Amino acid sequence: MFSGFKEVREEEKSQMVGKVFSNVASNYDLMNDFMSGGLHRLWKDRLVSKLSPFPGMKHLDVAGGTGDVAFRILESVNSIKRRALQDPLNDDLQEETRIYVCDINPNMLDVGKNRALEKGLGEDKSLVWVQGDAEALSFEDNSMDGYTIAFGIRNVTHIEKVLSEAYRVLKRGGRFLCLELSHVDIPVFKELYDFYSFSVIPRLGEIVAGDRESYQYLVESIRRFPPQEKFASMIADAGFQKVEYENLVGGVVAIHSGLKI
Amino acid sequence: MYRTVVNRILLTKNTGGGRRCLLRFPDLRTAVTSSRFSTTTEPQTSPNRPLNPADSSTSSSSTSFQTSSGAGDIPRQERKNPPAEYQGEQARVLQASLRHVLRLGWSEEAMIAGAKEVGISPSIVGSFPRKEAALVEFFMDDCLQRLIDRIDSGEELQDLIPSQRIYKLVRFRLEMQAPYISKWPQALSIQAHPLNVSTSFKQRAMLVDEIWHAAGDEASGLDWYVKRTVLGGVYSTTEIYMLTDSSPEFRDTWLFLDNRVKDAFDLKKTIQEATYLAEAVGAGMGSSLQGFVGKVIQR
Repeated sequence: MFSGFKEVREEEKSQMVGKVFSNVASNYDLMNDFMSGGLHRLWKDRLVSKLSPFPGMKHLDVAGGTGDVAFRILESVNSIKRRALQDPLNDDLQEETRIYVCDINPNMLDVGKNRALEKGLGEDKSLVWVQGDAEALSFEDNSMDGYTIAFGIRNVTHIEKVLSEAYRVLKRGGRFLCLELSHVDIPVFKELYDFYSFSVIPRLGEIVAGDRESYQYLVESIRRFPPQEKFASMIADAGFQKVEYENLVGGVVAIHSGLKI
Repeated sequence: MYRTVVNRILLTKNTGGGRRCLLRFPDLRTAVTSSRFSTTTEPQTSPNRPLNPADSSTSSSSTSFQTSSGAGDIPRQERKNPPAEYQGEQARVLQASLRHVLRLGWSEEAMIAGAKEVGISPSIVGSFPRKEAALVEFFMDDCLQRLIDRIDSGEELQDLIPSQRIYKLVRFRLEMQAPYISKWPQALSIQAHPLNVSTSFKQRAMLVDEIWHAAGDEASGLDWYVKRTVLGGVYSTTEIYMLTDSSPEFRDTWLFLDNRVKDAFDLKKTIQEATYLAEAVGAGMGSSLQGFVGKVIQR
């Protein structure tokens, strides 16, 4: 099977991914800013607003090592506006919010934990950092209100397994949201994007992170990932209903969502 | 919304006096800047259903697509209950949310409380495209359905003259809003929001159409629009009057409504009077202006 454009055996893919992310962990956030021109922050904001978090929610963010999405969800739940509108009979719900950040790579989780400390969230028991594999989650069936995976699903070996695990852990009414780099079809823009991906990004990786290969892998893995409609039908196959996707920046990024009923 | 109108037309053609039903569908309209794909999976009756591009849906940029899933087939057949359609569950959540509206307003909080009551994760609230608007629109559809049921079952309407029929129907419809009157201004402001205006306008247009239809209206052409606009005006002004009415059982509102309906039916006479007035003014102003005024009145 292919991984990036280098031919790689299945067992080796997860090892290779592990190596890539151990290498990039410390510069991950910086490189994200460079590659997307800071846009990744807006994309994550959009993901969280689509999620519509609420106090008392149990949420699982997979492959979210450095905590970007988790922090946004926590901020949304704790925001003043939310608290002002809250149901007065359920004031203590705020305490019950739990956001589990699951990542297979301990280095990424460490970066996330440090960022939490910097934000002053070190003692906050709403954030739980868990090391785990997206294809075999350690959480119980029907235990999560929400599941997000941002820029993580193209790195897994078996997408179907991740989707069915997501379906398993979600409660009835729970939502699955996936933010991922996707396919661009708009004529001229597509060529520009290809040029940017194959010529600019690996070079940036070399200069900023000192690691050309990892970013070459990144760019190739995006092309290998199924296009929007195919991925949407895979999500539907896992049992989700109301599967939709929204293209951002003409298809450079897509947010897929599904509902478990 | 289009689908409900289409269904109504189809159903009224098929069953003359039978019970008509509005099918409620979630609004699949999409925002201008994003393109969407939506698929609904249904309980599998035959394992080898071929891929059909399904009926074209309301919006030009979203398509409905039924898939017979290969890998997902077997596990789904093994499950004891076929997965409920999500629209049904959404409707249940909205129905339950209505009970919390008085306490929490037409808001996400009411919908979260409704979802908890039904036993579904409140995350489902995020799947409604315009959240509070979905709740208000559901209520409006529900009221319209109740009105239609009342029209279909009520025989006493036949004995009344049109203006009285309209009075009764508008009153019946507004009474449905009476329990929520303290939070109704919020609902109105949600309906007036630019994103929601087109849907609420359509719902009101359907409501007004339904009432005129029940009052035995056979107008066509310009008359049709005039009648609906006039009734729309009567309905809206009464609705707003009701917001500040504190008389027992809204007595003052019904009096107001009665007067407005009478005025509306006198409108024909009013237009005639306005014509005479214009002619008189024209006569007083001299022949050149008379010619101009004559053209305006279209003698």
